[in-house]
Amino acid sequence: MSSVTTDTPVAPAARGSRGLSLWIGALIVLILIGLGVWIYQLSQGLQITHMRDNVIWGLYIISFMFFVGLSAGGLIVASAGRLFDVKQFTPIVRLAVVEATVTIATAALLIIPDLGSPQRILNLFFHAHWLSPMIWDVTVILIYLVLSLLYLWLYTRRDLAARGSWMALGTKDTSDGARAHDHHLTYILAWIALPAAVLVHSITAWIFGLQISRGFWYSAIMPPLFISSALVSGLALVTILALVVRRTGRVSFGDDLIAFLGGLLAVFLAVEAFLVLSEVLAGYYPGIPTDAVHQLFSGRYAPGFAIEIVVGIVIPFILLAVAAWRRRPQVVVVASVLALIGIFVHRANLIVIGLGKDPIALPPGTSLGTPQANGSSFAPSSVYFPSIWEFLIVLGIVALCALLFTLAVRYLPLKEKTSA
Amino acid sequence: MSTSYIGIDVPDPAIQKATRLGMVVDQNKCIGCWTCAVACKQQQNVGIGLYWLRVLTVGGDAMDTPAGTFPALTMSYQTTNCFHCDNPPCVKACPTQATYKMPNGIVDVNYDRCIGCRYCMVACPYDNRVFNWRTPVQEPPADVAVVGETPARPKGVVEKCTFCVQRTTDGLLPRCVIACPTGARTFGDLDDPDSVVSVQLRERPSYVVFPERGTEPSLHYLIRTGPNAEGGAF
Repeated sequence: MSSVTTDTPVAPAARGSRGLSLWIGALIVLILIGLGVWIYQLSQGLQITHMRDNVIWGLYIISFMFFVGLSAGGLIVASAGRLFDVKQFTPIVRLAVVEATVTIATAALLIIPDLGSPQRILNLFFHAHWLSPMIWDVTVILIYLVLSLLYLWLYTRRDLAARGSWMALGTKDTSDGARAHDHHLTYILAWIALPAAVLVHSITAWIFGLQISRGFWYSAIMPPLFISSALVSGLALVTILALVVRRTGRVSFGDDLIAFLGGLLAVFLAVEAFLVLSEVLAGYYPGIPTDAVHQLFSGRYAPGFAIEIVVGIVIPFILLAVAAWRRRPQVVVVASVLALIGIFVHRANLIVIGLGKDPIALPPGTSLGTPQANGSSFAPSSVYFPSIWEFLIVLGIVALCALLFTLAVRYLPLKEKTSA
Repeated sequence: MSTSYIGIDVPDPAIQKATRLGMVVDQNKCIGCWTCAVACKQQQNVGIGLYWLRVLTVGGDAMDTPAGTFPALTMSYQTTNCFHCDNPPCVKACPTQATYKMPNGIVDVNYDRCIGCRYCMVACPYDNRVFNWRTPVQEPPADVAVVGETPARPKGVVEKCTFCVQRTTDGLLPRCVIACPTGARTFGDLDDPDSVVSVQLRERPSYVVFPERGTEPSLHYLIRTGPNAEGGAF
């Protein structure tokens, strides 16, 4: 731990130990609750969720998409910064890679509670069906997870070796020459990591966008839309985390970086708005009243869509577009939180509207699967709101993500030593 | 005493050697009585709340209500079960090859392999797949099976109409075809020009659901004719 004192004027371990213990304790409690609820779900089946035969996927898949996006966005920002030698990013590149690594692991975990028969998950490998976008996604996520770990290790191994940490995995040389060598290696890996990050979220988009059964999804714009959502949410999260971690002294940078990230986020938000507009206009213009797009404005999906646009795009964009405002880190944090909320709601809208619009106009009185608890036992409903159990399981997994992140920040050298 | 009927309790070789099994529903004959749906549930031990075969009311605001405004009312139904598409989106989507196309055209599910991800349900344009959100409950209980020869499925797998695969591989007709009191349902090999389904499709105009989606369903509906004729539900 000697390196900690050399890193920072205030030894964070001493300063934050009580708060840190409380934080980690709370996370462990949430993880255990989530685990317990998952065991309960295993015993009862997915009936304890509010997913049913009409809204087939729910909070688990929404969160999965969201976390894949957080990861892809983080790694795209980090690797593009390295690739194009954006010097401003240097102080937070390692942090962004940590963020990308823990969030992709979280995304992979979020799939497990969604499975009806998770005990057979290895069938994904034993009986892989290569025409299924889901298999593409499983493959690319695993490759991507390995890549991010490798990337993270390359960034930190010399500093770990200097500390004598076992995580250096045998690396001994901490000379400047070796660091320069690694610096070059991260550049090469950035060439692989950037397309991999784009691919990981494009394939997640194709899980939805290739299904002709769901008119709301079947669109060529899905991968670009997913990437832009990833950029917004990933960058927003990295910005927030950078400011949080800076308070512990484990990374250091000036407020000008936050202003820079805020400006970048404003650009990403504009791209997101453009793609959402393209998608909605293409659905709206033909004027087919049964198209789900029409319910975005006046139907039951209108509140969600309003949050997505106003809270998630318009307000943060205005906050960030004004140069004087985005120089204040508090404003950038508020805008980032709003953007995160907006992207989450955007993804929830995508799932619930895409599935809630029954492909076949179902006459009332036709039961589709277990009737939902909405009164009449013979009235299927495509209204979805997650059950408390779904929330607790997702909360447990997100707590695990936070725990991994906390530990990574605590034990990995996040400060860039080499002058790039 | 026994009178034996081919396809009902005597194997029909034509069904056994079929290469594309298909079904035809005569919309002139269907009366929306749900007998097919109930027979299906018994045959296949389908749990409460799940339907492999369901009956849609065409046009009305609720079940069993007519379409149109008085006095121009029409009343018709459309039974719906797995269409056993020739280009099945569910088979493409399944990540574990748990749902697959049999050589005789049936789209079947391997319940021992299904991981319960429900991607096939997302891929199906017809909502014809159902998921066991809980351990299925049968009424009467599965161990007091009335007709059912099919073992009950565990919770956490997707299931759907199999064209009564246990019967049709033996050359017998699916239970819904036998049960229909008006004889609206016929079954046979669409690739065999002499099968009852091929003859019907040659002689009467017919439709499939969502032809524009390219799924090539193997379940065809003969268009309703005569006074107050009404098209399909879609």
